[in-house]
Amino acid sequence: MAIQFYWQLPTTNDARYGDATKQRRGESADPHYPIFSDGVTDPRRKAFNYYDYLHQVTKAADLSGFNGVQIPDYPEGEESWIVAGYIARSTSRLTLLTQFDAARGSAVYAAKNAVSFQRYTGGRFSWQITDGPACGKARKRAGDFADKADILPRIDEFITVAKGVLTTFPFNFVGRFFEVENGGFQGPLSDRKVPTIYLSGNDSDSIALSAKHADVHILNAQSHEDTRKSIAEYREAAAKSGRNPEIALRIDVLARETRDEALFDANRFLEQTGSNIAHVKSENDLLWNDFSTSYTGATASLIGSYEQVAQALAEYADLGVTQFILAAVPHFEEAYRVGTYVLPQVRSLTDPAQKQAA
Amino acid sequence: MTIDVFWRIPTHGEPSSHRARAPFRGDWFPGNDSKTLAGLSGGGNDGFTYIDYLAEIARAAEISGFQGGLIPSFPNTDEPWVISAFLARETKNFRFMIPFQPGFLNPVTAARMTASLQRATGGRALYNIITGGGGPSQLWWGDPVKHDDRYGRTTEFLDVLKGIWQGGPFSYNGKFYQVEDAGLADPLSKEEYPEIYFSGSSDAALASASKHAEYYLSWLEPLDQIKDKFARVKERTDALGRKIKCAIRVDIVARPTEEEAWREVSRGFDNIDPAVLARYKEQNTGDSVGASRQRGLRPQTINSYKDFIISPNIWTGFSLLRGGQTLGIVGSYEQVAERLDELVQLGADAFILASTPHLEEAYRVGEEVLPLVRGKSGSSSLRAVA
Repeated sequence: MAIQFYWQLPTTNDARYGDATKQRRGESADPHYPIFSDGVTDPRRKAFNYYDYLHQVTKAADLSGFNGVQIPDYPEGEESWIVAGYIARSTSRLTLLTQFDAARGSAVYAAKNAVSFQRYTGGRFSWQITDGPACGKARKRAGDFADKADILPRIDEFITVAKGVLTTFPFNFVGRFFEVENGGFQGPLSDRKVPTIYLSGNDSDSIALSAKHADVHILNAQSHEDTRKSIAEYREAAAKSGRNPEIALRIDVLARETRDEALFDANRFLEQTGSNIAHVKSENDLLWNDFSTSYTGATASLIGSYEQVAQALAEYADLGVTQFILAAVPHFEEAYRVGTYVLPQVRSLTDPAQKQAA
Repeated sequence: MTIDVFWRIPTHGEPSSHRARAPFRGDWFPGNDSKTLAGLSGGGNDGFTYIDYLAEIARAAEISGFQGGLIPSFPNTDEPWVISAFLARETKNFRFMIPFQPGFLNPVTAARMTASLQRATGGRALYNIITGGGGPSQLWWGDPVKHDDRYGRTTEFLDVLKGIWQGGPFSYNGKFYQVEDAGLADPLSKEEYPEIYFSGSSDAALASASKHAEYYLSWLEPLDQIKDKFARVKERTDALGRKIKCAIRVDIVARPTEEEAWREVSRGFDNIDPAVLARYKEQNTGDSVGASRQRGLRPQTINSYKDFIISPNIWTGFSLLRGGQTLGIVGSYEQVAERLDELVQLGADAFILASTPHLEEAYRVGEEVLPLVRGKSGSSSLRAVA
């Protein structure tokens, strides 16, 4: 199976510099940091804002050969379903992998909105359902007072109900969180593709839920060895449910023409963000843990030359990863860079025909 | 003071005219339970989907002078949040009036969706808050909450939405919704709060509307009834120290002459499937007060389209031509404009107009009828209205 690549859309913020606090592309985030001095005309007035930039990142991912965009949903960022709809008509190819929390509301309503996405995009809408903020206070800020123990059972019901009304009429369900009577979509709304479901999580309950419902299980970036273990563990759990979901890897990349340039830029990024990664073991490592920003959200980055990064990604593919969800700052320029210099190499390295020939 | 005029986006497809049942544009038409996505011509896949047609209507409406459009949501239609986001980049002025039932969304999620849509459109999103027609369809939507409780929930939802909109921190401990130290983040918190059109005819609805809505939205009803209804709403909001405006949804058939307009209706009426007419006589479901008021207007005997004329230019058979409301205005361009002005005199501050096909009729109504509407221009040439 051909490897699929997703590029992350920066729904919270993005800028040339690592911290991205003083400026939003297309608009000024902080009136104390105007973009131009008084002596220079800013011709844009209010004609553009950050959405125009998100649109450009989408086009960049499309033009540079990605298969889809991943649309994160952070409480402080742009809402992912609106972003997904906003960019949808700008691409006839990219899959819209849309992240959200099952606390967002009715599962029937979510499914019904998904039908419109599927009708209008030819089935390119996918769901990445998360368990929301880990901290209880953050969940209460988000209007979610569910017990922590109820978070996964609610996702379970949410998916059951959504799949039910998308595929069955009449659909009846009485659960702890959702209730439906004689539900299900009919006529032109019926039989639309159920969004491809992405789930994640390393604990046994999350793995069991994912094994039950997911089409794709997302792993966070970790070493090849740890990834091998995680995949084995997940496959074992999934086999019990008689299922075999695909494996995706969420990882950031910092790829440059040479290893030295990558290291130079990595260190500058750390200076700009003020990060202090004391546990960066050695600059010989390709994988730097915690080298990321709060708004890209990866647990680690691959840092190296185009060849090194491509090789490392291909090794993950050898372990069973079939989809990569990538990000790098700034997302626009880096989409072209990664699409141009890294993806073709990974595709070539993982092409079954070529491997056989080798 | 001026009045605002909106158009409607036909979310569930439409025939190419009032007079005929077919051909349909889009894939929602009676009897289509086809599992394949129909193209725009109602046939097989032609490379377009219905959103391509809706985009044309939205542009036609903004070009011909409408503020924007109502994007209705029903069990068999596409959804307005999706349509609005999809059309954000392809329209300039068009304002997206999004009907939704607050019970279907976490208010914090809804606030983020709305503020995001405001950013994506330059502040062109507004709400039509609906609280559910009830009956079996409310459980179809997955909502078990009872009629009057739903209005309480709507009030709570809007309390939370307003509380967190400008950044909070806002805490709330309601029966249906709770938040703690909640608030939209910058820059979402800088967006304009959505204007709210509110529907619902019961006392519970009016209580909720008078607290949160800018506009009370009603279907067209017989003129004496609508006058009373608007007076009742304004009385309630006055008591609360708020001013509310009133808006009317109305289907129209406007032609150069009255004769041509009735001919259009007459031909449409003759093409109604007898089974549809039979069903019409029996319908009686749901706990919506507004819907039952409209049902009360059915003629006792039905021999021709004329049995549905209840006063000059007011025809009550529109729901037979296409789903939706029963009353509408039929007449020459001048007559339709006069009836609209009459409604302004009775208290209307805004209209949501519609006519089939919505694409061509947006141009017709924009070019021929709207220029004749005096609205609140206060000219002495306005006739007194009984």
